[in-house]
Amino acid sequence: MRQLFHVTPSGWAGLATAAFGILVLPSLANSYWLSVFTSMGCFLLAIAGVAFMYARLGMVSLTQVGLMGVGGWIALRLNYAFDFPFEVNLALAATATMIFGWILALPALRMRGLYLALVTLMAAGGLEILFATFQFPNGGAGFWGVQTGSGAAFRRPWIAQSAQAYLRYVIACALLGFLCIELHRRLQPGRAWALIRRSEAAAMAAGVNVTLYKTWAFGIAGLLGGAAGALLAGSLGLLDDGTFRASESVMIFALAVVGGAHSWQGALVAALLYKVLPALLNIWGVDANLSFVIFGAGLLHAVITAPQGIAGQLLDGLRRLSPKREAKDA
Amino acid sequence: MRLARYGNWLLWALLMAAVIGVLGWGGRPQMVGLFIASGLAVGSLYALAGIGIVVLYRATGVLNFAGGAAGAAGAMTAWQLTAWGFWEPLGWLACLLVATAITLFYGRLIAPRLAWRETVVKAVATLGFALIILGAISFLWADDPRSISLPTDAIGVRLLGMRITATRLLLFAASIGIVIGIWLFLARTTIGLQMRALASDRDLAALMGIPILRVETIAWGIAGLLAGFTGLMFADLIRLEPSVITFMVIPGIAAAICGRLENLVVVLIGGLSMGVIENMLTMSTTLRGVRPIAPFVIAALVLLYYQRGQRLTFGGRD
Amino acid sequence: MLEIEDVTVRFGGVVALSAVSVRFDKPVNGIIGPNGAGKTTLMNVLSGFVRPASGRVSGDGEALLPLAPHRRAHWGLRRSFQKEEIADDLTVFENVLVQIDHSRSPARTKTAEVEAMLTLVGMAERAGKIGAALSGFERRLTDVAKCLVGQPRLVMFDEPAGGMSVDESRQLGALIRQIHGATGAQVLVIDHDVELIRTICEDTLVLDFGRRIAFGPTAEVLDDPRVKAAYLGTEEV
Repeated sequence: MRQLFHVTPSGWAGLATAAFGILVLPSLANSYWLSVFTSMGCFLLAIAGVAFMYARLGMVSLTQVGLMGVGGWIALRLNYAFDFPFEVNLALAATATMIFGWILALPALRMRGLYLALVTLMAAGGLEILFATFQFPNGGAGFWGVQTGSGAAFRRPWIAQSAQAYLRYVIACALLGFLCIELHRRLQPGRAWALIRRSEAAAMAAGVNVTLYKTWAFGIAGLLGGAAGALLAGSLGLLDDGTFRASESVMIFALAVVGGAHSWQGALVAALLYKVLPALLNIWGVDANLSFVIFGAGLLHAVITAPQGIAGQLLDGLRRLSPKREAKDA
Repeated sequence: MRLARYGNWLLWALLMAAVIGVLGWGGRPQMVGLFIASGLAVGSLYALAGIGIVVLYRATGVLNFAGGAAGAAGAMTAWQLTAWGFWEPLGWLACLLVATAITLFYGRLIAPRLAWRETVVKAVATLGFALIILGAISFLWADDPRSISLPTDAIGVRLLGMRITATRLLLFAASIGIVIGIWLFLARTTIGLQMRALASDRDLAALMGIPILRVETIAWGIAGLLAGFTGLMFADLIRLEPSVITFMVIPGIAAAICGRLENLVVVLIGGLSMGVIENMLTMSTTLRGVRPIAPFVIAALVLLYYQRGQRLTFGGRD
Repeated sequence: MLEIEDVTVRFGGVVALSAVSVRFDKPVNGIIGPNGAGKTTLMNVLSGFVRPASGRVSGDGEALLPLAPHRRAHWGLRRSFQKEEIADDLTVFENVLVQIDHSRSPARTKTAEVEAMLTLVGMAERAGKIGAALSGFERRLTDVAKCLVGQPRLVMFDEPAGGMSVDESRQLGALIRQIHGATGAQVLVIDHDVELIRTICEDTLVLDFGRRIAFGPTAEVLDDPRVKAAYLGTEEV
């Protein structure tokens, strides 16, 4: 069990990056970049969920942003309906999204991997329509809670009221998400997942309840996605249905693969590309639609030639620079 | 097994009758009829999208998410040519050509590099391609509202006391005709036979000397033509908006799932049924707002139904 | 003791197994037959990946067919596939540990058991090696160790010596013969290597075109003219 708390070099780098994000970054950024980075942090958490599922189990979910929308909706609704502190709303939103995700994925979890991609894509389309029809709660009356004009404020965490503090909060949550995944990986679920990735038949023959572990993995992805959505609601105060279109879910999956689904570095690259690249393109006056082209081409390239993504190629390059290190840490 | 299949069709017929009966209760028969008719037209779109997916998937193992995007590109090209003053039918021809060219480009140049990867990876790659096409379209054309109209839109046909647009009739007839055509093609022609062999066992087919490249190219070509036709009809009937047409693959997938990614007739019936149910939901005040999600809910329920009492079994390859 | 009664399997129009009945009660048993005879299909039925159209299977008196595949593993069924399925990003130790992960014994007991079986197969020093870095023979040995943990009752090998040198084959054969003594489990082996079967299996089942054509002590079965005819063909036209 000493293996459990062993920190790999990559792990130290991750902790260092998180420390930088929490301690240094908020004081460096102006208000525009604070909101971009906070958004990025939320999507980083969601991308972590979708990436690990693909890398560790080969499961494709094309509805992660949709699940973020579900989490955000629930957090908003709870905020206006009750007086719970933010953390309670966050926990409830994340859990409810996890259950909602299970319901969505249920038809596909016992079938071939392809069907999960299909079912989640359909779910993404369905969620897009639901969000466009019912919008997001903003303090209005009734179940859907929508009113014209802005409503009461969204209550942020007690310890994270300012923009800087909230950025720290979001990064800390993202770190927790990664740690949660890593903990799973080092224990029984991780072993079961690795065998499932290799061959579902072999996993069954080894006594692994494949459906249970696939469901568990999808549940984590849903949990992280829901939490990310709630955090986004906290950041923006209100949510817009345009943020949660089916194309966005497809995009972050594509970027998760492009960045590199196997590592936290890859998820970070993906979040950077998703949030920062369009912002940069805007500043440089380049048509934002070209980001679709770039990301799509990146996905094709990654799938064809570089399955470990940009992060994988960078890490490979680093490894080649220091020949002493064996490729032992994953 | 025969009995089970008849049982399934009986169940379907009963459910459809029940849904139409419940939703249409209290409405004038002609109004119900109109909803069913336009439901059949929309359903034809879903079915055609699904058929394109299934035919290509069976022949090449690629689940093509980019069909909608190719159709959108074709539809925008048709609009553009008409806007520049060209004779309308040239626009339609261009639509088919552009969609087929885009699909063939992927099929001949990109798909072969992924030929031995697993199905999910191949499907994910087509997603990337769809993003590229969608991005290019959005880049080339500004985000203004546009529309396409076909001459058949103005013609109305009287059927059973209802006035139905010729376009809708054409679409419905086309969907049935295309399914029959493809069925005949697969059953009666040599290339169709080769395509079925490829679909059944790719490795074995290659060993037997089936000209894989030629058969696959034809399959990609058919998929492209279907995408172009479906895109054009979608643009006419619903909306000429690139992202909307691109994501018509989603209800297409719903229809394809009904047919378990293999049975074209069930894909057709599934798509048509989805269209009808979705349209009939307009008559329900409570469910009217969410009727666009009907195809997805139906597909999910159908999938659950297919799985009842089953566990994962491994007969052969993925 | 494994009892297979009247098992029939159909894939569409093809009858892969036709009313196969056999009782295996020796420690090590073989299953042989020409290609396409149904050997792997029979093992897939035992594993739970293929549902027979009819028939019963019972192990030590307990009915196995109603159990899901992973529950058969909990019962004590073990399967070593034609291609060793060792996860590339797990260590040798972890690969073996998976087999008993579900059991509620304390971690120390599980660790001890894994180490014991790894020692038996000769992989104890390489327990920390990652799957991707193993040679084909090492993977097969890890696979065998995985089959031995957790009180197995029936261990099935599907062409275990595939792709191995003569020495490795012999080593594997010796190892297989130790299984019953070390764990009390019964062993089923499918292979084409007749020498291996002759050396390690007491009883052997011969399948051809999905039918049982011979069963009994290995030496007798291998001398049976019907078996020879199945492999080599007959003169009859």
